[in-house]
Amino acid sequence: MVFRLFFGCGEGDDIAEPAISIRGLAYRYRGQEKPALDGVDLDVAEGEFVVVMGPSGAGKSTLCTTLNGLVPHFFRGRIDGEVEIRGRSTRDGKVGEFAREVGLVFQDFEAQLFSTNVALEVAFGPENFSVERGEMKRRVEGVLGRVRLEGFEGRQPATLSGGQKQRLAIASVLAIEPRILCLDEPTTDLDPVGKLGVFEIASELKERDDVTLIVVEHETEETLEADRIVILREGRVVTDRPAREVLRDVELLQESRIMPLGVARFFHEMGLWQGQLPLTPAEGLREFRQRGWQIDAGRHRELVAEDAEREEGYGEALIEVEGLSHRYPNGVVALEGVDLAVRRGEFLAVLGQNGSGKTTLVKHFNGLLEPTEGSVRVEGKTTTEQGIRTLGQTVGYVFQNPDHQIFSDTVSDEVAFGPKIRGLEEAEVEERVKEALAAVGLTGYEEEDPFGLTKGERQRVAVASVLAVRPEVLILDEPTTGLDYAEQRSMMDLVRRLNESGSTIIVVTHTMWVVAEYAHRAAVVRDGRVVLSGVVREVFAEEERLRDASLRPPHIVSLGNALGHTVLSVDEMLRVAGKGER
Amino acid sequence: MDPFLYLDRDTFVHRLDPRTKMFLLVGAFVLAFLFLNPLYGLVVLAAVLAFGALARSLSNLGRIRFILVAIALVTTALWCIFASGETPLFLFVELEALLYGIGVALRISTTIIAGMIFLSTTRNEEITTGLVKLGIPYRFAFAVSTALRLVPAVATTGATIGQAQRSRGLDLDEGGVLERVRKRVPLLIPVFVSTIRSTNIFSMALESKGFGASPTRSYFLHLEMTRRDAIVLVVVALLLAVALYLRFAGYGGLEGVTR
Repeated sequence: MVFRLFFGCGEGDDIAEPAISIRGLAYRYRGQEKPALDGVDLDVAEGEFVVVMGPSGAGKSTLCTTLNGLVPHFFRGRIDGEVEIRGRSTRDGKVGEFAREVGLVFQDFEAQLFSTNVALEVAFGPENFSVERGEMKRRVEGVLGRVRLEGFEGRQPATLSGGQKQRLAIASVLAIEPRILCLDEPTTDLDPVGKLGVFEIASELKERDDVTLIVVEHETEETLEADRIVILREGRVVTDRPAREVLRDVELLQESRIMPLGVARFFHEMGLWQGQLPLTPAEGLREFRQRGWQIDAGRHRELVAEDAEREEGYGEALIEVEGLSHRYPNGVVALEGVDLAVRRGEFLAVLGQNGSGKTTLVKHFNGLLEPTEGSVRVEGKTTTEQGIRTLGQTVGYVFQNPDHQIFSDTVSDEVAFGPKIRGLEEAEVEERVKEALAAVGLTGYEEEDPFGLTKGERQRVAVASVLAVRPEVLILDEPTTGLDYAEQRSMMDLVRRLNESGSTIIVVTHTMWVVAEYAHRAAVVRDGRVVLSGVVREVFAEEERLRDASLRPPHIVSLGNALGHTVLSVDEMLRVAGKGER
Repeated sequence: MDPFLYLDRDTFVHRLDPRTKMFLLVGAFVLAFLFLNPLYGLVVLAAVLAFGALARSLSNLGRIRFILVAIALVTTALWCIFASGETPLFLFVELEALLYGIGVALRISTTIIAGMIFLSTTRNEEITTGLVKLGIPYRFAFAVSTALRLVPAVATTGATIGQAQRSRGLDLDEGGVLERVRKRVPLLIPVFVSTIRSTNIFSMALESKGFGASPTRSYFLHLEMTRRDAIVLVVVALLLAVALYLRFAGYGGLEGVTR
């Protein structure tokens, strides 16, 4: 440890060669006008843990692919500057040669797993390097132990949960025994406990094996273990400082379109100066108590009363689920005995870990799936008698990946598809397109090619195309996945506006702050059953039971819970917290 | 959904060397195409099915039952119409033509079923390694196994996309042939886009794991021809010899059909 710190601090010292040295790196993909990277300088010392953050399009993934030479060897484009891995320029060798030094794990773990069982997946790397069989077996065993997948050797990767798949992807790279490991947004598709698992493993690798870690991450709560945080914007490094220092700089994070830590932001707003800011709920609790601050119980009762008032305001039950069970053709029971009602005007979050059955549940609401047992009624009639086409008028469904539905040449054609197919007249269709695009803030994009838009914008096109049918209920499956903080905010603000203007909203997600700040009610699915449901405030008060379902409330909620009063956002905390100087 | 056809079971067939299974597969093809007489064809099909039952791999046939039945019916019907024979049966259809149709349908079904049993009992990696041991260059063998994997993977993506478009009101089962083809455009474009994207990531991941980095390569799977393989190979070789003898002695053909 001491040595590592020593080497880590010595800028440009000649005692130890840095693991990674990047000088004046610029890269422009062929056919792009703007460079993806624009003059990056970065040194990473042996054994360091660096987190790279920044908004979408800042060049984070490109930076990752420069580390093993995919840029410039795999992609076409123009490169300037130098990337050296332990003293060797990536220009001077093939990607395969650098694979020995740098293990690269991509964000999309589904696309990188291709073997028929876990052991073979892990062995693929060593096979390529002609590692002898006995040694290969030893490595497979060792690496699986390290990512906690012992005993999974014979399992098919497709049958693993999201977190397990991501850990397998890491293991398959670790088996090559690289000294540097680069993970590109390893936790984007994972539930909170799955995220934690990946970071625990990363920390262990650093501690035990002195592996140098570069991790791209956009959720601030996951970055606490890092040594350094590097923030990229428009292809440039704008910040490169010790992690805790960056995390305390609330204003810098907000400027960089990164969500600040809830606890830090709360104390910042309460007027503490930067150096004093606590970061974790535990640190926050200590600080709160030491300062003798109080939660104003009266103001907290106001919050609870507002929740109750909102509950009163809902209309009749639109979707009624009774004793719903679903068995897939291969015999897997995905849902069992689910009872649930969604009233008109509600904003419901369906929560649960990867593979818990939450998506299966909501797919019953628009008739994509039919109950094996029990019934689902929409506006009083069962989904089975209505059929998917009729139900589509009442229940709109926005799929997780917008690229699974977009196919038109222009945005307006895409949005017009739903109304047209339902035989509406041209004038009416035009009217609907205009209205839907306005609702998602894409007025003026009518003639754009949807494939040229950013992920956040494509997501909006997908929402607009569903809105154009004017459904009563809007289901959104993981609407914030793959978006940066600013895009997530604007997406959820949009959903909130739709809810306020009368739509009933059902969001499937495991992004906990989104639930806390936007949803009214939450239903927690675990192993195919709804184990917890109610007003979000009540659900998030049950931290233990959430953890059983692999969920973890945001830091600020945990702080409130520890103080005996559940709050759902920093703003609520500011409302109820008093400095208590009487 | 499961992107592989392989069924992880511990049976006699699963334990055979992939090279033996490849020989078996070729043997099944030869047998299927040797005889036109539906009676003989049925015997071959029964043998293949029995082998599949031994491998406990017939459940995969359920996945393709629709295609199997459709191909069999269409083939039989077409040959009934287009082939002619001597013995009138009903309307314009002759007995020989019907038998010929059934014979061809059996051939096709048997080859498909045999292929399915092969894929259900042989790991993708075993196919690769087996091909390499037979002298095929690794890159080519890997390409073969990747192609085999791609088909079910694309089918899975297609199913998701189909759900997304049906949710938007797309009804695929309405209208004439042209109309139906046109209606599939909303499915095809996203399938292409997603497949190209994930193939791109896949090839980056391959490079990043050192694919082709060193001229030689080791294999995690250890292939070994055992006595079991030898017995199976001898039995199949004998069977083929007997079948060839029978065919050349004039059995198993079909007389009186003109195309």
